[in-house]
Amino acid sequence: MNIDLKELTQLAPIFRELFKGYHVSRRDPELYAQLSNQQDQYRALFKALGYELVCDSRGFYYFVPELMGAQVNKTAQRLALFTFILVEHLADQGRDPLAVLDGGSLGRDELPALLEKYRDLFLQAEVTSVEELEEKVMRRLNQLGFASEENGIYRFLAPMHRFLDVCLSVQQDRDLAATLHSALPLPTPVLLGDELEDDIISLAEDEPDLDEEDALARAMADERAVQEIDA
Amino acid sequence: MIDPKRVLRALAEHWTLLEPLCERFDSGTLSLIELRKQLTAQLPESTPVDITALLDQWIRLDILVPVAKSPNRFELNAQIHDFLAYLRREHRLGLCLEIEAYLRHLERLAGYIKDAFEVRDAADLARQLRLLDMRVRDVLKKLANDEQALVAVAERAKTSDRQIPLRQRYAEVLATWDEYVEPMIQLVAADGAFEQGVYRVEHVLLRLLGEQQRLGQLVDDDLLLRTHARILEMQTTAQLTLRRARELLLPLREEARRHNAVTRGAALALAAIRRKGLDAVPQASLPLFSRPQSTFLGTASQVEAYVYALARFEPKPAQFPKASTARKGEAPRAPRTAREMLERCEQALPLPDLMSWLLAQEPEGATDELLYWFSRLSRDARFQRERLERRDYLTAEHQVSLSSFTLLRAAP
Repeated sequence: MNIDLKELTQLAPIFRELFKGYHVSRRDPELYAQLSNQQDQYRALFKALGYELVCDSRGFYYFVPELMGAQVNKTAQRLALFTFILVEHLADQGRDPLAVLDGGSLGRDELPALLEKYRDLFLQAEVTSVEELEEKVMRRLNQLGFASEENGIYRFLAPMHRFLDVCLSVQQDRDLAATLHSALPLPTPVLLGDELEDDIISLAEDEPDLDEEDALARAMADERAVQEIDA
Repeated sequence: MIDPKRVLRALAEHWTLLEPLCERFDSGTLSLIELRKQLTAQLPESTPVDITALLDQWIRLDILVPVAKSPNRFELNAQIHDFLAYLRREHRLGLCLEIEAYLRHLERLAGYIKDAFEVRDAADLARQLRLLDMRVRDVLKKLANDEQALVAVAERAKTSDRQIPLRQRYAEVLATWDEYVEPMIQLVAADGAFEQGVYRVEHVLLRLLGEQQRLGQLVDDDLLLRTHARILEMQTTAQLTLRRARELLLPLREEARRHNAVTRGAALALAAIRRKGLDAVPQASLPLFSRPQSTFLGTASQVEAYVYALARFEPKPAQFPKASTARKGEAPRAPRTAREMLERCEQALPLPDLMSWLLAQEPEGATDELLYWFSRLSRDARFQRERLERRDYLTAEHQVSLSSFTLLRAAP
């Protein structure tokens, strides 16, 4: 495929944004128009550079980070948690969660009540105050192109579908549903501090007589992974 | 007996007043006061006497009828209401059962036709054929009516307020699907009552045509052919209506289902997080994205400096040891094997603290290696272990916080 760089007039800003983890949607008309008009060229160019450009038909573009470096970070967990909470909160109020999260809006003044109602859950994501909610969740949503803020109104954009998809996949996850509905006691929750030992101990439990070198290599790789997560 | 011309004239004359009233009557009956209020709003210049005269006229012509046991409440005469609904293309969805009942009736008529032919009763045969034809027309009319009603159902769902919950917004769609479309799918399916019924009637008519040629005509062939064509038209219309119903309602139904799935998924995820913490949500399903503040290649000059350094890169010459030269200092120690470590550990039993023991054994050991031995030894079947309190340990390079184990000989 021949790529004509002259045609890719928005290459620099597009790459800069995508590289930062930003989702390009119709909120950025110029970048979006260019990406949708030259979709194949951009995809080929980024692929050659080692980046996978995802073109979601629901109207947004983003880079898939390389799997090696892509730890599910706290931000992703936090934003997913926020989405779950918001869906439930809206449904409780008799509002339509999809209408809000798919192009709808949420007032900034609704955040305190939301935080109060779900304080225990937000605590798990280290969000304890409205300021932290704005800083760690709303600002991140904005930075990553999931939402935009104007005059105290947060408008949710098409990339929010990525989190709605999480809701759908959770719903389809029968194991999760089964654990929740089973009468048997749940497995003891793994405490955050126990991660290190338990990870290593569980490593080779299914293969007790591992080849020694192999085992060492795996242990070291896992140790590195644990360090990366901690970092 | 009311003169039809007078009714039709009244309907034509008062259409502008009747049409908005129809909408009100679609959703229930109206009291005399409500009716008067409605008409006064539409005819601001009229006097109460005019309104009374108008209402009187409608009641006399049987356009308005009093509701049973509530003489002060009125409704539109059901026949007139249906006629007006037809004119306004406002149709109420019928029942799938009605179509099924018609089908049964068609089958019965086919039986009578067969009987009439067998006894060579030409008059009865013609009468039954006409009845069959009329019944087929009824089904066609009903299917057309239902299709209009389905369009209206979909439109109402699409245009209603986006802020009301989807469950309410699509309640009618979901009910229509369950009560009409789903049974219709079964009815019109290849082995359903509709196809079977049509097949039986068609079979009787075709056999009749053949027999007429053999035994001589009882009725005109054209009548048979026309009825047969209408039956086929009915079959096609039913399939088209069903297809249209699916096209109209399926996307809306899917949207409602998706909405339910999203809400249920969110509730499930929250329940799991409440019980098992933030990591309970399957990580595989979480979206991955680069961190927003990841290190980005900086300014042009930084890139330039980097490229410059790359261009001038010179590898350091590799120094390989010569085979002849004697090694200075201590020879590097061979790595310990698992067997060796296990034996040493076994000999040292009981160990009050495995990690401390390891650190004493390998004071210079790398942290990852020590942690590997820690995990390898602590889970070996030869030992029985007991967890200790969490504390910090200092390796040569790191400070490690973990809960160590006391190791005892495992009971044989």
